[in-house]
Amino acid sequence: MTETRLPEIPLAQAQLIQGNEACVKGALAAGCRFYGGYPITPSSEIAEHMVRLLPNIGGVFVQMEDEIASLASVVGASLGGMKSMTATSGPGFSLMQEHIGFAAMTEVPCVIVNVMRGGPSTGLPTSPSQGDVMQARWGTHGDHPIIVLAPSSVGEVFHVTVKAFNLAERFRTPVIVLYDEIIGHTRESVVLPATVDVIDREQPHDDPDDFWPMVAPPDGTPPLPAFGDGYRFHVTGLAHDERGFPTNDAQVAEALVARLHRKIEAHLDEIVEVDTYMLDDADIAIFAYGIVGRSAREAVERARDAGIKVGLIRPVTLWPFPAREVAAVASRVDTILVAEMNLGQLIGEVERAVAGNAEVLGYLKADGEPITPTTLLEEILHAEKVRQ
Amino acid sequence: MNRNEIRIAGAGGQGVVTAGRILAEAAILSGSHATHSQVYGPQSRGGASRSDVVIATGPIGFPLADDIDLLIVLSAEAYTRYQPELSPDGRLIVDGRCAPASLAGTARQFAVVDTSRAISGSQLVTGVVALGVLQAVADVVEDEALRTAVAARVPAKHRDMNLKALEAGAHLVRETSP
Repeated sequence: MTETRLPEIPLAQAQLIQGNEACVKGALAAGCRFYGGYPITPSSEIAEHMVRLLPNIGGVFVQMEDEIASLASVVGASLGGMKSMTATSGPGFSLMQEHIGFAAMTEVPCVIVNVMRGGPSTGLPTSPSQGDVMQARWGTHGDHPIIVLAPSSVGEVFHVTVKAFNLAERFRTPVIVLYDEIIGHTRESVVLPATVDVIDREQPHDDPDDFWPMVAPPDGTPPLPAFGDGYRFHVTGLAHDERGFPTNDAQVAEALVARLHRKIEAHLDEIVEVDTYMLDDADIAIFAYGIVGRSAREAVERARDAGIKVGLIRPVTLWPFPAREVAAVASRVDTILVAEMNLGQLIGEVERAVAGNAEVLGYLKADGEPITPTTLLEEILHAEKVRQ
Repeated sequence: MNRNEIRIAGAGGQGVVTAGRILAEAAILSGSHATHSQVYGPQSRGGASRSDVVIATGPIGFPLADDIDLLIVLSAEAYTRYQPELSPDGRLIVDGRCAPASLAGTARQFAVVDTSRAISGSQLVTGVVALGVLQAVADVVEDEALRTAVAARVPAKHRDMNLKALEAGAHLVRETSP
Protein backbone atom coordinates (compact mmCIF):
# COMPACT_ATOMS: atom_id res chain seq x y z
CA MET A 1 0.00 0.00 0.00
CA THR A 2 1.29 3.44 -0.89
CA GLU A 3 -0.29 6.81 -0.45
CA THR A 4 -0.82 9.19 -3.29
CA ARG A 5 -1.80 12.83 -3.35
CA LEU A 6 -5.07 13.70 -5.02
CA PRO A 7 -4.84 16.11 -7.92
CA GLU A 8 -7.03 19.22 -7.81
CA ILE A 9 -8.97 18.41 -4.69
CA PRO A 10 -9.09 20.87 -1.81
CA LEU A 11 -8.54 19.40 1.61
CA ALA A 12 -11.55 18.29 3.62
CA GLN A 13 -13.87 20.71 1.90
CA ALA A 14 -17.39 19.84 0.89
CA GLN A 15 -18.08 20.18 -2.81
CA LEU A 16 -21.07 19.65 -5.06
CA ILE A 17 -20.17 17.15 -7.78
CA GLN A 18 -21.82 14.60 -10.05
CA GLY A 19 -21.29 10.87 -9.63
CA ASN A 20 -19.49 10.77 -12.96
CA GLU A 21 -17.09 13.45 -11.74
CA ALA A 22 -16.52 11.57 -8.48
CA CYS A 23 -15.63 8.53 -10.59
CA VAL A 24 -12.93 10.51 -12.39
CA LYS A 25 -11.54 11.90 -9.13
CA GLY A 26 -11.44 8.39 -7.65
CA ALA A 27 -9.73 6.97 -10.72
CA LEU A 28 -7.05 9.65 -10.74
CA ALA A 29 -6.51 9.26 -6.99
CA ALA A 30 -6.03 5.52 -7.53
CA GLY A 31 -3.38 6.23 -10.15
CA CYS A 32 -5.31 5.89 -13.41
CA ARG A 33 -3.34 7.55 -16.18
CA PHE A 34 -4.96 6.13 -19.33
CA TYR A 35 -8.51 6.50 -20.58
CA GLY A 36 -9.65 5.01 -23.86
CA GLY A 37 -13.31 5.39 -24.61
CA TYR A 38 -16.23 6.34 -26.76
CA PRO A 39 -18.71 8.77 -25.19
CA ILE A 40 -22.24 7.62 -24.50
CA THR A 41 -25.07 8.95 -22.35
CA PRO A 42 -25.24 8.79 -19.36
CA SER A 43 -21.49 8.21 -18.90
CA SER A 44 -20.11 10.98 -21.13
CA GLU A 45 -19.15 13.32 -18.26
CA ILE A 46 -16.49 10.78 -17.27
CA ALA A 47 -14.80 11.19 -20.65
CA GLU A 48 -15.29 14.97 -20.51
CA HIS A 49 -13.52 15.29 -17.17
CA MET A 50 -10.84 12.79 -18.12
CA VAL A 51 -9.91 14.61 -21.32
CA ARG A 52 -9.56 17.81 -19.35
CA LEU A 53 -7.54 16.41 -16.45
CA LEU A 54 -5.41 13.52 -17.74
CA PRO A 55 -3.04 15.45 -20.04
CA ASN A 56 -2.10 17.79 -17.17
CA ILE A 57 -0.83 14.98 -14.98
CA GLY A 58 1.14 12.97 -17.51
CA GLY A 59 -1.78 10.81 -18.55
CA VAL A 60 -3.18 9.88 -21.93
CA PHE A 61 -6.75 10.21 -23.21
CA VAL A 62 -7.76 8.57 -26.48
CA GLN A 63 -11.19 8.71 -28.03
CA MET A 64 -11.43 5.42 -29.89
CA GLU A 65 -13.62 4.55 -32.88
CA ASP A 66 -15.98 2.36 -30.85
CA GLU A 67 -16.29 0.47 -27.60
CA ILE A 68 -14.58 -2.70 -28.87
CA ALA A 69 -11.49 -0.66 -29.64
CA SER A 70 -11.89 1.32 -26.43
CA LEU A 71 -11.36 -1.66 -24.19
CA ALA A 72 -8.64 -2.97 -26.50
CA SER A 73 -6.74 0.28 -25.97
CA VAL A 74 -7.24 0.00 -22.22
CA VAL A 75 -5.86 -3.54 -22.16
CA GLY A 76 -2.87 -2.46 -24.24
CA ALA A 77 -2.16 0.56 -22.04
CA SER A 78 -2.38 -1.58 -18.94
CA LEU A 79 0.13 -4.06 -20.37
CA GLY A 80 2.33 -1.04 -20.98
CA GLY A 81 2.23 -0.38 -17.25
CA MET A 82 -0.44 2.31 -16.96
CA LYS A 83 -3.47 1.99 -14.77
CA SER A 84 -6.25 2.19 -17.32
CA MET A 85 -9.99 2.51 -17.60
CA THR A 86 -12.95 3.12 -19.85
CA ALA A 87 -16.56 4.10 -19.23
CA THR A 88 -19.72 3.38 -21.14
CA SER A 89 -23.39 2.50 -20.92
CA GLY A 90 -25.42 -0.54 -21.97
CA PRO A 91 -24.99 -0.44 -25.77
CA GLY A 92 -21.25 0.15 -25.45
CA PHE A 93 -20.97 -2.38 -22.65
CA SER A 94 -22.35 -5.00 -25.03
CA LEU A 95 -19.53 -4.26 -27.48
CA MET A 96 -16.94 -4.49 -24.70
CA GLN A 97 -17.82 -8.05 -23.72
CA GLU A 98 -15.24 -9.63 -26.03
CA HIS A 99 -12.35 -7.79 -24.43
CA ILE A 100 -13.65 -8.20 -20.89
CA GLY A 101 -13.18 -11.91 -21.51
CA PHE A 102 -9.77 -11.28 -23.04
CA ALA A 103 -8.70 -9.24 -20.00
CA ALA A 104 -9.98 -11.94 -17.65
CA MET A 105 -8.11 -14.70 -19.53
CA THR A 106 -4.89 -12.72 -19.97
CA GLU A 107 -5.16 -11.32 -16.44
CA VAL A 108 -4.78 -7.68 -17.42
CA PRO A 109 -5.84 -5.19 -14.72
CA CYS A 110 -8.44 -2.71 -15.97
CA VAL A 111 -11.54 -0.88 -14.80
CA ILE A 112 -14.74 -0.65 -16.82
CA VAL A 113 -17.45 1.74 -15.65
CA ASN A 114 -20.98 1.05 -16.87
CA VAL A 115 -23.46 3.83 -16.09
CA MET A 116 -26.67 1.91 -16.67
CA ARG A 117 -29.57 3.31 -18.67
CA GLY A 118 -32.83 1.72 -19.71
CA GLY A 119 -32.53 -1.17 -22.18
CA PRO A 120 -32.53 -3.48 -24.05
CA SER A 121 -30.61 -2.08 -27.03
CA THR A 122 -30.43 1.72 -27.11
CA GLY A 123 -33.50 1.74 -24.85
CA LEU A 124 -33.93 4.82 -22.67
CA PRO A 125 -30.68 6.81 -22.95
CA THR A 126 -31.40 9.31 -20.17
CA SER A 127 -33.27 7.06 -17.74
CA PRO A 128 -31.89 4.95 -14.90
CA SER A 129 -31.89 1.16 -14.86
CA GLN A 130 -30.21 -1.79 -13.19
CA GLY A 131 -30.64 -4.00 -16.21
CA ASP A 132 -26.99 -4.89 -16.77
CA VAL A 133 -26.31 -6.79 -13.55
CA MET A 134 -26.34 -10.23 -15.17
CA GLN A 135 -24.54 -8.96 -18.27
CA ALA A 136 -21.77 -7.69 -16.01
CA ARG A 137 -21.46 -11.21 -14.58
CA TRP A 138 -22.02 -13.36 -17.63
CA GLY A 139 -21.84 -11.09 -20.68
CA THR A 140 -18.58 -12.48 -21.93
CA HIS A 141 -18.30 -16.13 -22.83
CA GLY A 142 -16.56 -18.92 -21.00
CA ASP A 143 -16.07 -19.66 -17.32
CA HIS A 144 -14.52 -16.55 -15.94
CA PRO A 145 -14.49 -14.74 -12.62
CA ILE A 146 -15.44 -11.08 -12.43
CA ILE A 147 -15.60 -8.39 -9.78
CA VAL A 148 -18.53 -5.97 -9.97
CA LEU A 149 -18.99 -3.07 -7.55
CA ALA A 150 -22.18 -1.00 -7.21
CA PRO A 151 -21.94 2.36 -5.40
CA SER A 152 -25.11 4.05 -4.21
CA SER A 153 -24.04 7.67 -3.76
CA VAL A 154 -21.70 10.22 -5.29
CA GLY A 155 -19.31 9.86 -2.36
CA GLU A 156 -19.36 6.08 -2.66
CA VAL A 157 -18.61 6.30 -6.39
CA PHE A 158 -15.27 7.87 -5.44
CA HIS A 159 -14.38 5.18 -2.91
CA VAL A 160 -15.62 2.30 -5.05
CA THR A 161 -13.64 3.51 -8.06
CA VAL A 162 -10.47 3.58 -5.94
CA LYS A 163 -11.29 0.09 -4.72
CA ALA A 164 -11.93 -1.08 -8.28
CA PHE A 165 -8.43 -0.05 -9.34
CA ASN A 166 -6.91 -1.61 -6.24
CA LEU A 167 -8.68 -4.92 -6.80
CA ALA A 168 -7.83 -4.88 -10.52
CA GLU A 169 -4.15 -4.45 -9.67
CA ARG A 170 -4.15 -6.85 -6.74
CA PHE A 171 -5.83 -9.68 -8.64
CA ARG A 172 -4.89 -8.83 -12.23
CA THR A 173 -8.50 -8.82 -13.33
CA PRO A 174 -11.06 -6.59 -15.02
CA VAL A 175 -13.24 -4.88 -12.42
CA ILE A 176 -16.59 -3.41 -13.36
CA VAL A 177 -18.05 -0.37 -11.60
CA LEU A 178 -21.80 -0.47 -12.12
CA TYR A 179 -24.11 2.38 -11.30
CA ASP A 180 -27.12 4.05 -12.88
CA GLU A 181 -28.03 7.31 -14.56
CA ILE A 182 -29.27 8.92 -11.33
CA ILE A 183 -26.01 8.37 -9.48
CA GLY A 184 -24.04 9.38 -12.57
CA HIS A 185 -25.84 12.67 -13.06
CA THR A 186 -27.06 13.80 -9.64
CA ARG A 187 -24.85 16.31 -7.86
CA GLU A 188 -24.31 15.72 -4.16
CA SER A 189 -22.28 17.40 -1.46
CA VAL A 190 -19.25 15.26 -0.70
CA VAL A 191 -16.07 15.59 1.28
CA LEU A 192 -13.34 13.66 -0.45
CA PRO A 193 -10.27 12.38 1.41
CA ALA A 194 -6.92 14.06 0.87
CA THR A 195 -5.20 10.73 0.34
CA VAL A 196 -6.26 7.19 -0.46
CA ASP A 197 -4.62 3.78 -0.08
CA VAL A 198 -3.37 2.60 -3.43
CA ILE A 199 -2.32 -0.90 -4.49
CA ASP A 200 0.06 -1.38 -7.43
CA ARG A 201 0.47 -4.61 -9.36
CA GLU A 202 3.20 -6.93 -8.12
CA GLN A 203 6.43 -6.87 -10.12
CA PRO A 204 8.62 -9.92 -10.90
CA HIS A 205 11.97 -10.38 -9.21
CA ASP A 206 13.32 -13.06 -11.58
CA ASP A 207 16.16 -12.62 -13.98
CA PRO A 208 14.45 -11.45 -17.21
CA ASP A 209 16.12 -14.32 -19.10
CA ASP A 210 14.45 -16.90 -16.84
CA PHE A 211 11.05 -15.19 -16.65
CA TRP A 212 7.90 -17.27 -17.00
CA PRO A 213 4.96 -14.84 -16.92
CA MET A 214 2.14 -17.05 -15.68
CA VAL A 215 3.65 -18.76 -12.66
CA ALA A 216 1.49 -18.41 -9.55
CA PRO A 217 0.23 -20.49 -6.61
CA PRO A 218 -3.10 -22.30 -7.22
CA ASP A 219 -5.02 -19.41 -5.63
CA GLY A 220 -2.58 -16.67 -6.55
CA THR A 221 -1.91 -13.94 -9.07
CA PRO A 222 1.29 -13.80 -11.14
CA PRO A 223 3.40 -10.62 -11.14
CA LEU A 224 2.99 -8.36 -14.16
CA PRO A 225 5.92 -6.40 -15.57
CA ALA A 226 5.25 -3.64 -18.06
CA PHE A 227 6.16 -4.14 -21.68
CA GLY A 228 9.44 -2.31 -22.13
CA ASP A 229 10.75 -3.14 -18.67
CA GLY A 230 13.02 -5.85 -20.08
CA TYR A 231 10.79 -8.84 -19.46
CA ARG A 232 9.69 -10.48 -22.69
CA PHE A 233 6.38 -12.32 -22.60
CA HIS A 234 3.57 -13.52 -24.80
CA VAL A 235 -0.07 -12.54 -24.18
CA THR A 236 -2.84 -14.71 -25.59
CA GLY A 237 -6.53 -15.31 -25.05
CA LEU A 238 -5.92 -18.97 -25.90
CA ALA A 239 -5.47 -21.36 -23.01
CA HIS A 240 -1.83 -20.98 -22.05
CA ASP A 241 0.82 -22.55 -19.88
CA GLU A 242 3.06 -20.92 -17.28
CA ARG A 243 5.33 -19.61 -20.04
CA GLY A 244 2.36 -17.78 -21.55
CA PHE A 245 2.18 -19.84 -24.76
CA PRO A 246 -0.93 -21.56 -26.17
CA THR A 247 -1.69 -25.10 -25.24
CA ASN A 248 -4.44 -27.67 -25.75
CA ASP A 249 -3.33 -29.69 -22.76
CA ALA A 250 -6.47 -30.45 -20.74
CA GLN A 251 -4.67 -30.49 -17.42
CA VAL A 252 -2.96 -27.17 -18.04
CA ALA A 253 -6.18 -25.54 -19.27
CA GLU A 254 -8.10 -26.89 -16.28
CA ALA A 255 -5.48 -25.58 -13.86
CA LEU A 256 -5.51 -22.16 -15.48
CA VAL A 257 -9.28 -21.70 -15.38
CA ALA A 258 -9.39 -23.06 -11.83
CA ARG A 259 -6.72 -20.61 -10.71
CA LEU A 260 -8.52 -17.68 -12.37
CA HIS A 261 -11.50 -18.48 -10.16
CA ARG A 262 -9.55 -19.35 -7.01
CA LYS A 263 -7.52 -16.15 -7.04
CA ILE A 264 -10.84 -14.35 -6.52
CA GLU A 265 -12.78 -16.86 -4.44
CA ALA A 266 -9.95 -17.41 -1.97
CA HIS A 267 -9.87 -13.69 -1.17
CA LEU A 268 -13.53 -12.81 -0.71
CA ASP A 269 -12.74 -10.95 2.50
CA GLU A 270 -10.77 -8.41 0.49
CA ILE A 271 -13.45 -8.13 -2.20
CA VAL A 272 -16.92 -8.54 -0.76
CA GLU A 273 -18.39 -5.44 0.87
CA VAL A 274 -21.92 -5.35 2.24
CA ASP A 275 -23.60 -2.48 4.05
CA THR A 276 -26.31 -3.30 6.59
CA TYR A 277 -28.73 -1.05 8.46
CA MET A 278 -31.07 -1.79 11.36
CA LEU A 279 -30.96 -5.56 10.85
CA ASP A 280 -30.36 -6.56 14.49
CA ASP A 281 -34.00 -7.09 15.48
CA ALA A 282 -35.50 -7.07 11.98
CA ASP A 283 -38.35 -9.36 10.89
CA ILE A 284 -38.06 -8.10 7.31
CA ALA A 285 -34.89 -7.25 5.38
CA ILE A 286 -34.85 -5.23 2.18
CA PHE A 287 -32.15 -6.31 -0.27
CA ALA A 288 -31.29 -3.36 -2.52
CA TYR A 289 -28.20 -1.93 -4.19
CA GLY A 290 -27.14 1.21 -6.01
CA ILE A 291 -29.68 4.03 -6.06
CA VAL A 292 -32.41 1.68 -4.82
CA GLY A 293 -30.34 1.18 -1.67
CA ARG A 294 -30.83 4.88 -0.95
CA SER A 295 -34.62 4.64 -1.33
CA ALA A 296 -34.65 1.48 0.75
CA ARG A 297 -32.73 3.06 3.60
CA GLU A 298 -35.19 5.91 3.79
CA ALA A 299 -38.14 3.51 3.52
CA VAL A 300 -36.67 1.50 6.41
CA GLU A 301 -36.55 4.63 8.57
CA ARG A 302 -40.16 5.53 7.75
CA ALA A 303 -41.34 1.95 8.39
CA ARG A 304 -39.51 1.90 11.73
CA ASP A 305 -41.39 5.06 12.65
CA ALA A 306 -44.56 3.07 11.93
CA GLY A 307 -43.38 0.32 14.28
CA ILE A 308 -42.32 -2.25 11.68
CA LYS A 309 -39.09 -4.11 12.36
CA VAL A 310 -37.33 -3.83 9.03
CA GLY A 311 -33.67 -3.51 8.07
CA LEU A 312 -31.52 -3.24 4.98
CA ILE A 313 -28.83 -5.38 3.38
CA ARG A 314 -27.09 -3.44 0.62
CA PRO A 315 -24.34 -5.21 -1.30
CA VAL A 316 -21.62 -2.91 -2.62
CA THR A 317 -20.00 -5.95 -4.21
CA LEU A 318 -22.54 -7.56 -6.56
CA TRP A 319 -20.09 -10.14 -7.95
CA PRO A 320 -18.78 -12.33 -6.44
CA PHE A 321 -22.29 -12.46 -5.01
CA PRO A 322 -22.29 -12.07 -1.20
CA ALA A 323 -24.08 -15.38 -0.65
CA ARG A 324 -22.67 -15.92 2.85
CA GLU A 325 -23.90 -12.54 4.01
CA VAL A 326 -27.37 -13.01 2.50
CA ALA A 327 -27.65 -16.50 4.03
CA ALA A 328 -26.76 -15.08 7.44
CA VAL A 329 -29.53 -12.49 7.16
CA ALA A 330 -32.01 -15.12 5.93
CA SER A 331 -31.43 -17.18 9.06
CA ARG A 332 -32.57 -14.24 11.23
CA VAL A 333 -35.52 -12.70 9.37
CA ASP A 334 -38.88 -13.98 8.11
CA THR A 335 -38.91 -12.10 4.82
CA ILE A 336 -36.40 -10.68 2.38
CA LEU A 337 -37.81 -8.06 0.01
CA VAL A 338 -35.65 -7.66 -3.09
CA ALA A 339 -36.04 -4.34 -4.91
CA GLU A 340 -34.24 -3.76 -8.19
CA MET A 341 -34.74 -1.64 -11.32
CA ASN A 342 -35.01 -4.65 -13.62
CA LEU A 343 -37.46 -7.50 -14.04
CA GLY A 344 -35.54 -9.85 -11.73
CA GLN A 345 -31.78 -10.32 -11.91
CA LEU A 346 -30.19 -10.54 -8.46
CA ILE A 347 -33.40 -11.86 -6.91
CA GLY A 348 -32.52 -15.29 -8.30
CA GLU A 349 -29.16 -15.19 -6.55
CA VAL A 350 -30.87 -14.08 -3.33
CA GLU A 351 -33.30 -17.01 -3.54
CA ARG A 352 -30.39 -19.39 -4.07
CA ALA A 353 -28.52 -18.01 -1.04
CA VAL A 354 -31.64 -17.92 1.13
CA ALA A 355 -32.29 -21.59 0.30
CA GLY A 356 -35.81 -21.57 1.71
CA ASN A 357 -34.82 -20.10 5.09
CA ALA A 358 -36.91 -16.97 4.55
CA GLU A 359 -39.67 -15.89 2.22
CA VAL A 360 -38.33 -13.91 -0.73
CA LEU A 361 -40.55 -11.20 -2.22
CA GLY A 362 -39.68 -8.98 -5.16
CA TYR A 363 -40.38 -5.41 -6.17
CA LEU A 364 -39.11 -5.37 -9.74
CA LYS A 365 -39.52 -2.50 -12.15
CA ALA A 366 -37.99 -1.59 -15.52
CA ASP A 367 -39.84 1.50 -16.73
CA GLY A 368 -36.99 4.02 -16.54
CA GLU A 369 -38.39 5.65 -13.41
CA PRO A 370 -36.64 5.46 -10.04
CA ILE A 371 -38.03 3.35 -7.19
CA THR A 372 -38.98 5.91 -4.56
CA PRO A 373 -38.95 5.58 -0.75
CA THR A 374 -42.73 6.04 -0.75
CA THR A 375 -43.19 3.07 -3.08
CA LEU A 376 -40.88 0.87 -1.02
CA LEU A 377 -42.67 1.84 2.18
CA GLU A 378 -45.88 0.50 0.64
CA GLU A 379 -44.05 -2.72 -0.28
CA ILE A 380 -42.78 -3.05 3.30
CA LEU A 381 -46.31 -2.58 4.64
CA HIS A 382 -47.48 -5.28 2.22
CA ALA A 383 -44.65 -7.62 3.26
CA GLU A 384 -45.54 -7.08 6.92
CA LYS A 385 -49.17 -7.98 6.22
CA VAL A 386 -48.14 -11.15 4.35
CA ARG A 387 -45.75 -12.09 7.18
CA GLN A 388 -48.51 -11.91 9.79
CA MET B 1 -33.45 15.61 10.31
CA ASN B 2 -34.91 18.58 8.49
CA ARG B 3 -35.31 17.98 4.73
CA ASN B 4 -36.38 20.63 2.25
CA GLU B 5 -37.17 19.89 -1.41
CA ILE B 6 -37.12 22.83 -3.79
CA ARG B 7 -37.91 22.81 -7.50
CA ILE B 8 -37.09 25.68 -9.86
CA ALA B 9 -39.08 25.16 -13.06
CA GLY B 10 -39.16 27.25 -16.19
CA ALA B 11 -38.17 27.34 -19.84
CA GLY B 12 -34.86 26.64 -21.56
CA GLY B 13 -32.62 29.73 -21.49
CA GLN B 14 -33.87 31.05 -18.15
CA GLY B 15 -30.95 29.53 -16.27
CA VAL B 16 -32.99 27.27 -14.03
CA VAL B 17 -30.33 24.51 -13.99
CA THR B 18 -27.59 26.95 -13.04
CA ALA B 19 -29.87 28.47 -10.40
CA GLY B 20 -30.39 25.04 -8.86
CA ARG B 21 -26.65 24.37 -8.74
CA ILE B 22 -26.09 27.75 -7.12
CA LEU B 23 -28.74 27.04 -4.50
CA ALA B 24 -27.22 23.64 -3.68
CA GLU B 25 -23.74 25.18 -3.46
CA ALA B 26 -25.07 27.91 -1.18
CA ALA B 27 -26.61 25.23 1.00
CA ILE B 28 -23.22 23.55 1.34
CA LEU B 29 -21.60 26.87 2.19
CA SER B 30 -24.32 27.25 4.83
CA GLY B 31 -23.19 23.97 6.40
CA SER B 32 -26.04 21.82 5.09
CA HIS B 33 -26.06 18.70 2.94
CA ALA B 34 -27.45 19.14 -0.56
CA THR B 35 -28.21 17.36 -3.82
CA HIS B 36 -29.02 18.76 -7.23
CA SER B 37 -30.70 17.02 -10.14
CA GLN B 38 -31.90 18.16 -13.51
CA VAL B 39 -33.75 16.78 -16.50
CA TYR B 40 -31.74 15.25 -19.34
CA GLY B 41 -32.90 14.01 -22.68
CA PRO B 42 -35.72 15.22 -24.91
CA GLN B 43 -37.42 17.02 -22.01
CA SER B 44 -34.38 19.27 -21.62
CA ARG B 45 -34.54 20.52 -25.22
CA GLY B 46 -36.87 23.49 -25.33
CA GLY B 47 -40.14 23.49 -23.49
CA ALA B 48 -40.20 23.01 -19.77
CA SER B 49 -36.95 22.67 -17.85
CA ARG B 50 -36.46 22.06 -14.15
CA SER B 51 -33.85 21.86 -11.48
CA ASP B 52 -34.40 20.12 -8.11
CA VAL B 53 -32.50 20.82 -4.93
CA VAL B 54 -32.72 18.81 -1.72
CA ILE B 55 -31.30 20.53 1.35
CA ALA B 56 -31.00 18.74 4.69
CA THR B 57 -29.33 19.14 8.04
CA GLY B 58 -27.92 15.60 7.85
CA PRO B 59 -26.84 13.09 5.19
CA ILE B 60 -29.46 12.83 2.46
CA GLY B 61 -31.16 9.49 1.86
CA PHE B 62 -33.03 9.47 -1.44
CA PRO B 63 -31.29 12.19 -3.45
CA LEU B 64 -34.15 13.12 -5.78
CA ALA B 65 -37.19 15.24 -5.04
CA ASP B 66 -40.04 12.98 -3.92
CA ASP B 67 -42.34 15.42 -2.11
CA ILE B 68 -41.71 19.01 -3.18
CA ASP B 69 -41.96 21.60 -0.40
CA LEU B 70 -41.31 24.70 -2.44
CA LEU B 71 -41.96 25.15 -6.17
CA ILE B 72 -41.18 28.26 -8.16
CA VAL B 73 -42.47 28.25 -11.74
CA LEU B 74 -41.26 30.67 -14.37
CA SER B 75 -43.20 29.67 -17.50
CA ALA B 76 -46.74 28.64 -18.32
CA GLU B 77 -45.67 25.23 -19.65
CA ALA B 78 -43.63 24.55 -16.51
CA TYR B 79 -46.67 25.45 -14.42
CA THR B 80 -48.83 22.94 -16.26
CA ARG B 81 -46.23 20.19 -16.09
CA TYR B 82 -44.85 20.56 -12.59
CA GLN B 83 -47.58 22.07 -10.43
CA PRO B 84 -49.25 18.66 -9.92
CA GLU B 85 -46.02 17.34 -8.34
CA LEU B 86 -46.09 19.88 -5.51
CA SER B 87 -46.70 18.38 -2.08
CA PRO B 88 -50.29 19.03 -0.85
CA ASP B 89 -48.94 21.31 1.87
CA GLY B 90 -46.11 22.68 -0.30
CA ARG B 91 -45.63 26.34 -1.15
CA LEU B 92 -46.01 27.68 -4.69
CA ILE B 93 -44.44 30.79 -6.17
CA VAL B 94 -45.40 31.76 -9.72
CA ASP B 95 -44.15 34.32 -12.18
CA GLY B 96 -46.92 36.87 -12.56
CA ARG B 97 -47.10 36.51 -16.33
CA CYS B 98 -47.71 32.77 -16.41
CA ALA B 99 -50.08 32.42 -13.47
CA PRO B 100 -53.58 31.35 -14.48
CA ALA B 101 -56.39 33.50 -13.15
CA SER B 102 -57.55 30.64 -10.95
CA LEU B 103 -54.41 31.05 -8.85
CA ALA B 104 -55.36 34.49 -7.58
CA GLY B 105 -55.04 34.58 -3.82
CA THR B 106 -53.54 31.08 -3.44
CA ALA B 107 -49.97 31.40 -4.72
CA ARG B 108 -47.51 34.22 -4.32
CA GLN B 109 -46.84 35.95 -7.65
CA PHE B 110 -43.83 38.03 -8.60
CA ALA B 111 -42.64 39.65 -11.83
CA VAL B 112 -39.53 37.45 -12.04
CA VAL B 113 -39.19 37.34 -15.84
CA ASP B 114 -39.90 41.06 -16.24
CA THR B 115 -37.24 41.84 -13.65
CA SER B 116 -34.73 39.72 -15.58
CA ARG B 117 -35.58 41.58 -18.76
CA ALA B 118 -35.16 44.92 -17.02
CA ILE B 119 -31.72 43.95 -15.72
CA SER B 120 -30.26 41.92 -18.58
CA GLY B 121 -32.47 42.78 -21.53
CA SER B 122 -33.44 39.11 -21.77
CA GLN B 123 -34.49 36.09 -19.71
CA LEU B 124 -30.81 35.35 -18.98
CA VAL B 125 -30.89 36.04 -15.24
CA THR B 126 -34.45 34.80 -14.58
CA GLY B 127 -33.12 31.89 -12.52
CA VAL B 128 -31.03 34.15 -10.30
CA VAL B 129 -33.91 36.59 -9.77
CA ALA B 130 -35.94 33.52 -8.77
CA LEU B 131 -33.24 32.61 -6.22
CA GLY B 132 -33.57 36.07 -4.70
CA VAL B 133 -37.33 35.60 -4.50
CA LEU B 134 -37.32 32.18 -2.93
CA GLN B 135 -34.62 33.07 -0.43
CA ALA B 136 -36.62 36.12 0.67
CA VAL B 137 -39.80 34.02 0.90
CA ALA B 138 -38.43 30.85 2.48
CA ASP B 139 -34.96 31.64 3.92
CA VAL B 140 -33.58 28.28 2.81
CA VAL B 141 -29.84 29.10 2.99
CA GLU B 142 -27.68 31.82 4.51
CA ASP B 143 -27.93 35.14 2.63
CA GLU B 144 -24.17 35.61 2.43
CA ALA B 145 -23.66 32.02 1.25
CA LEU B 146 -26.14 32.61 -1.57
CA ARG B 147 -24.32 35.76 -2.70
CA THR B 148 -20.99 33.92 -2.57
CA ALA B 149 -22.37 30.97 -4.54
CA VAL B 150 -23.84 33.25 -7.23
CA ALA B 151 -20.57 35.15 -7.58
CA ALA B 152 -18.57 31.90 -7.79
CA ARG B 153 -20.77 30.13 -10.35
CA VAL B 154 -21.54 32.83 -12.96
CA PRO B 155 -18.99 34.11 -15.52
CA ALA B 156 -16.83 36.93 -14.09
CA LYS B 157 -18.07 39.47 -16.66
CA HIS B 158 -21.68 38.86 -15.59
CA ARG B 159 -21.03 38.77 -11.84
CA ASP B 160 -22.32 42.25 -11.02
CA MET B 161 -25.40 41.79 -13.17
CA ASN B 162 -26.25 38.50 -11.41
CA LEU B 163 -25.72 39.93 -7.93
CA LYS B 164 -28.03 42.77 -8.94
CA ALA B 165 -30.57 40.18 -10.15
CA LEU B 166 -30.37 38.35 -6.82
CA GLU B 167 -30.99 41.58 -4.90
CA ALA B 168 -33.83 42.55 -7.26
CA GLY B 169 -35.52 39.21 -6.55
CA ALA B 170 -35.36 39.82 -2.81
CA HIS B 171 -36.70 43.32 -3.37
CA LEU B 172 -39.73 41.96 -5.25
CA VAL B 173 -40.70 40.08 -2.10
CA ARG B 174 -39.95 42.89 0.33
CA GLU B 175 -42.04 45.45 -1.53
CA THR B 176 -45.10 43.19 -1.56
CA SER B 177 -44.77 41.81 1.95
CA PRO B 178 -47.47 42.94 4.34
